[in-house]
Amino acid sequence: MNNQAVTNGIGSSRSTRRISKKPQYSRFTQQELPAWKPILTPGWVIASILAIAFLFIPIGLFSLFASKRVVEIVYRYDQDCLPEMYRGNATAYIKNSDANKTCIENITVPKRMDPPIYVYYQLDYFYQNHRRYVKSRGDKQLRSVGYEFLTKECEPEARVNKSKISSPIVPCGLIAWSLFNDTYNLTLREKVLNINKKGIAWKSDTEDKFGSQVYPKNFQLGQDMIGGGKLNEKIPLSEQEDLIVWMRTAALPTFRKLYGKINTSLEAHDIITVALQNNYNTYSFGGQKKLVLSTTGWIDGKNDFLGIAYLMVGGICLFMALNFILLYVFKPRPLGDPSYLSWNRKAAN
Amino acid sequence: MDSDESRSVDLHPHKPKDDSSISSNTWRAGSIKEVEVIELGSKARYGSRKGGSTSSMSMSMSMSMSRRDIRDEDARLVYINHPLKSNESFEFSGNSVITNKYSVLTFLPRNLFEQFHRVAYVYFLIIAILNQLPQLAVFGRFASILPLSLVLLVTAVKDGYEDWRRHRSDRIENNRLSSVLVNSTFELKKWKDIQVGEIIKLSADETIPCDIVLLSTSDPTGVAYIQTINLDGESNLKTRYAKQETLGMQEIESISGTIKCEKPNRNIYGFLGTMDVNQKQVSLGPSNIVLRGCVLKNTSWAIGVVVYTGMETKVMLNNSGAQSKRSHLEARMNKEIIFLSLFLVGLCSIVSLLAGIWLRRHRDELDIMPFYRRKDYSGEDVDNYKYYGWGFEILFTFLMSVIVFQIMIPIALYISMELVRLGQAYFMIRDDNMYHESTESRLQCRALNVNEDLGQIKYVFSDKTGTLTENKMEFQYASISGVNYNGEKTEFYGEQGGYYAKVGGLILRPKMKVQVDMELVRLLRTGDDPTISKKIYDFFLALASCNTIVPILVDTSNSGEKLIDYQGESPDEQALVYAAAAYGFMLIERTSGHIVIDILGDRQRFNVLGMHEFDSDRKRMSVILGCPDSMVKVFVKGADTTMFNVIDKSRNTEVVTATEGHLHAFSSVGLRTLVIGMRDLTPHEFEQWRASYEAATNALMGRARLLRKVAINLETDLRILGASGIEDKLQQGVPEAIESLRMANIKVWVLTGDKQETAISIGYSSKLLTSNMTQIIINNNSTESCRRSLEDALILSRKALTSGENARLLALIIDGTSLVYILDSELEKQLFELASKCAVVLCCRVAPLQKAGIVMLIKNRTNDLTLAIGDGANDVSMIQKADVGIGISGQEGRQAVMASDFAMAQFRFLVPLLLVHGHWNYQRMGYMILYNFYRNAVFVLVLFWYALYTAFTLSTAINEWNSVLYSVIYTSVPTIVVGILDIDLSRTTLLKYPQLYGSGQKEESYNGKLFWLTIADTLWQSIVAFFVPLIAYWKTDIDGSSIGDLWTLAVVFLVNLHLAMDVNTWTWIIHASIWGSIVATIICVIIIDVIPILPGYWAIFHLAGDGLFWVCLIVIIIASLIPRFVSKTLVQHYRPSDIQIAVEAEKFENLIESRNAEIEMIQSQR
Repeated sequence: MNNQAVTNGIGSSRSTRRISKKPQYSRFTQQELPAWKPILTPGWVIASILAIAFLFIPIGLFSLFASKRVVEIVYRYDQDCLPEMYRGNATAYIKNSDANKTCIENITVPKRMDPPIYVYYQLDYFYQNHRRYVKSRGDKQLRSVGYEFLTKECEPEARVNKSKISSPIVPCGLIAWSLFNDTYNLTLREKVLNINKKGIAWKSDTEDKFGSQVYPKNFQLGQDMIGGGKLNEKIPLSEQEDLIVWMRTAALPTFRKLYGKINTSLEAHDIITVALQNNYNTYSFGGQKKLVLSTTGWIDGKNDFLGIAYLMVGGICLFMALNFILLYVFKPRPLGDPSYLSWNRKAAN
Repeated sequence: MDSDESRSVDLHPHKPKDDSSISSNTWRAGSIKEVEVIELGSKARYGSRKGGSTSSMSMSMSMSMSRRDIRDEDARLVYINHPLKSNESFEFSGNSVITNKYSVLTFLPRNLFEQFHRVAYVYFLIIAILNQLPQLAVFGRFASILPLSLVLLVTAVKDGYEDWRRHRSDRIENNRLSSVLVNSTFELKKWKDIQVGEIIKLSADETIPCDIVLLSTSDPTGVAYIQTINLDGESNLKTRYAKQETLGMQEIESISGTIKCEKPNRNIYGFLGTMDVNQKQVSLGPSNIVLRGCVLKNTSWAIGVVVYTGMETKVMLNNSGAQSKRSHLEARMNKEIIFLSLFLVGLCSIVSLLAGIWLRRHRDELDIMPFYRRKDYSGEDVDNYKYYGWGFEILFTFLMSVIVFQIMIPIALYISMELVRLGQAYFMIRDDNMYHESTESRLQCRALNVNEDLGQIKYVFSDKTGTLTENKMEFQYASISGVNYNGEKTEFYGEQGGYYAKVGGLILRPKMKVQVDMELVRLLRTGDDPTISKKIYDFFLALASCNTIVPILVDTSNSGEKLIDYQGESPDEQALVYAAAAYGFMLIERTSGHIVIDILGDRQRFNVLGMHEFDSDRKRMSVILGCPDSMVKVFVKGADTTMFNVIDKSRNTEVVTATEGHLHAFSSVGLRTLVIGMRDLTPHEFEQWRASYEAATNALMGRARLLRKVAINLETDLRILGASGIEDKLQQGVPEAIESLRMANIKVWVLTGDKQETAISIGYSSKLLTSNMTQIIINNNSTESCRRSLEDALILSRKALTSGENARLLALIIDGTSLVYILDSELEKQLFELASKCAVVLCCRVAPLQKAGIVMLIKNRTNDLTLAIGDGANDVSMIQKADVGIGISGQEGRQAVMASDFAMAQFRFLVPLLLVHGHWNYQRMGYMILYNFYRNAVFVLVLFWYALYTAFTLSTAINEWNSVLYSVIYTSVPTIVVGILDIDLSRTTLLKYPQLYGSGQKEESYNGKLFWLTIADTLWQSIVAFFVPLIAYWKTDIDGSSIGDLWTLAVVFLVNLHLAMDVNTWTWIIHASIWGSIVATIICVIIIDVIPILPGYWAIFHLAGDGLFWVCLIVIIIASLIPRFVSKTLVQHYRPSDIQIAVEAEKFENLIESRNAEIEMIQSQR
């Protein structure tokens, strides 16, 4: 500001500060944007509840029906396959590598089963979601050879000391270490029932997550404690589908994992002979092992819950809708009647 | 920060201890002594602005103080015109001002330091640090610090932007130019380069760059007029003086000397120093210093020496921001937060306890359990791997669960609330309905934390002058020697647009036009009756001369014409002078020795022989004029109470009685009245007066007392000239606004410094009082009589309220004197009881601190929210004490505005502010808080339920990134957008039915019941969202990541649809935010699942390819929301809230209107 401007202060400030501070009118700043204002009118309420009811009841029926069609054979074998003499000391039996682990049982097919029939093993009370357990894996190591030494996450199953040199385990970690290693051989009428173990893992896992150049190394060498299955060191991880399936840790403490698929159909009353190797130790923590053969429906396996849930929700909605109709017919309230405003009601009293 | 301190202090006018505590907010403790005097001074002024008392008081104060010597260590030594020498021994700060908090270097550490003052951020930090301990690492390192760093970043960006703006304004300020004496010539210099000791020359209308001591001015007597609007908000001119000793110095360059003065302090009304010049010691007081920020007016130049610069100037030392208040809703919310914390502790205890039990039960199996495997064989020795014993495991589990469940305490809510308030403020500021055209001002949101309080106000405490009224005084009626001239009015005097005077070819016009009375004009002009004309002549001469008004010429677009702007401390005086000008008595010039008045075209010069300024004891002022005909006359004007004591009633009794009648009539229509008298002085009397006057002015001790004595001796045996009635016009829309507020069940209390009659009449004209009200008037001057009248009033009020059919509304009118005895005594309770029964309370003649005391009367006894609105410095205390303080940015400057939370131009804007924005803000914020509790708790509960199925080890199926992004991206935006934009009722409806405001007063949007309902709903929704997938996927080959994705999506959909169900107004922005959030969630989940090194690789695609997933998702959403939907419908049907009915009416009315329009169209077509 120069002197002249100072002396003409009023004039100059008037000319420079001519920009009006008036807020520019816009529907946005005045909060008058076009808007949809929904109201819970009786019509809308009844229509929406009825719509839910009419949508849910058929879905419920359909799911229930689908679930009923699924044939499922569940056979718990961990107790049956324990020899008489080890009944009181199952852990000793399972740890004894010399003991005969083969176990032969017969199971009956209750209904005709159409292929594909899925063979699962089911573990109960096995916390694959335990914090110590889920963290103990080396995802980078599984994927590429370059990260072989990246075993920090894998403790306590990260490295082995081979002649004083610490070398990494591939695949490292508790999850891989505890790989399930029971095997099932099924025979139907003296004929081997072929279980297809190819394609049981997710395609995304075999292609991207598990490296085709990564081979098992130093796996399951521990002298003191064997966790579970061993891996063929000649086969890359991407083809070790049992491992890949196992490494998809289950969300819940009771879970199934895909063992293989049977592509022939089974007739009702067929008797299947299962020759299983009872290697896996669930005895030490009171877990259970089950063999499951199941067909599949549009909502996966046998599960009545969702059907019932849908029917219940649908039923309740139908009931509600009827109630609302009665309510609006017998006890209507005119919408937007100013006489219902509290001060008007007070004045009326 | 200091708000808490001041909050706890009880305010009462007559305890000096408390007096100082309120001022300690703005002044440092060292200056409290003086400040007290200021507070008392302004108290003495009451509401009416009869100026002068403040300055005279502080002046007399400083006089006695300047006698004291300043100790050397407390002093600052300034060598006049020797900046180098002045600065060599002391490092005075330069004149650059720095209001910014940060520089580039200090920004990061300082900003972080300040941010971590908030408890919420500390909580975040502790959680993040806990998570870094290897034993407790729940989340990855990066994921755990992301939310905190995001929040810090957002806040830092906000702070940085604000600081950048301060930087910019500082730069502009620091680079302004002033002319400074350098090497014997005045040169332009940037403000930031000005140093202590330099000599500055200022021209008219120039802003003063630093605090300077005046040396000389263009006025031969050394007077400089300054405007202090930037400093204390008072728009009138004040006078400052250069010392006689420095005045005569023609050669300013050669001046040398020293000034010894106080160290810089905050007291803007005090200054103490001595000046050694020409071997003489001169004392300096507050009247010799001109402060930074003032503007030089009406003085063509002034020269002074710089004593304080930059940050040490008084204005900068006083630059403290508005104190922070906390909203009622937030305080209420904190109670629920405590509950949520307990709930969190409960959840964590359950998990850690169960984990302990689990470990105990499996203690023998832990070594070999494949999923636990306590033993580590990889080393030389077999030892435990990450196992620290039973007790520690429980402790760690507890801490880990705190980390996992951390969002149970909705810390993000505090940040969301701040953003929402910011958004709400944006819309409040831009509201056209609160824009005042003529002042070009809109609402200012000065505090951002009480927005929602606006929706719950129950008491409004309003100032009168300037708040309800315009504080533009207008001369209305004149009673001249017993004749009331209130006849027909006309806008113009003559035809040329008001009276004007011609001076040397220039046409001078008063800036403001005043309507004139035809009869009076005729009498003046024709002079039919010389005796009457003479009286009228004296009356107007008194109006034009007996004042402290300074006429200032203002250029107009027409070069031959100038406007006269009358500047003065009192708006009443301005009105009187404008009135006199309109009748042809135009004050043209004022110097300290004479005034020039253009009397009906005749330019006359009067010598001002002496003036006795207004003081609060005499309540009048007088001026001694030497008239052109060498007569000496005394003109006196003052309040009726004191004027009638000094009027010689014996001379014309009928005139006195008539005037008294007129005065009563004036004040009962709400006019402010003044009585004018005069007498001629005989030469003998004059000489006598002059001798004592001169003796008094030259007295060193007790000058003020002596002067008052002289004045009282002079102001006797006056002849009554008449009385004036000045109208303080009601602001536009005030009666309607008060009516609306009353309908909204808001009690309006008016607290004014005015007289009881004036207050009551304003009460009537603003429709605050109506004729069907019973008035209870309490007007006492002892504790005992107060008690009696309160008791009587209580009995009366009970009768009035219980008389059924004839129940009348009560109005309580109480004056300041009574309040002195009532407040701060046991009578307070009775007063409260009485006041709460009254529809209207009017307090008149109250002092500023009493205003705050009345606010505290309500605040201490109820939980009701209070709002104080005022415009003047005398309202500051009440504005600060009330829950919401509103400043009117009007005539009286900025002091009230500076202390306020909101500032606006007109009282009537209170209606849209409270009824519309307040309502919206409250219901939005209330809903937002509940919704945030819900959205966080539902997620935490899903995590909690899952913990029960993981052997209580807190591993989460939901990917850690999804957990982190849940509150950051997935669900944060819609709640903020809805919090800013959702509208339950349109503006029109809210204004049409002010009663709808009751929903906020009754806490309908946020209360304990709603909180517990929300918690119950949350529990139900979390159970559905968790257990449906759990049961559906039990005994299947579902992996953790897949079910985690399902839970994530289910909860996010649920939470967003829940919000969608409660949105009232679907604008495109809300559509975009809600559906956008859902889409963003899906995208994020997909992105997370295409990273091959995460365990959940490709999970979402497998999941979505399966029918079960969709079936689960749909049933979760429907089953979760059905209870809420049904109960909402039922409540709306059986117990519709007022808002609900109004919403329906809004929609219904539109239908009716459009139907009517259609019918009309059809009819018109026929």
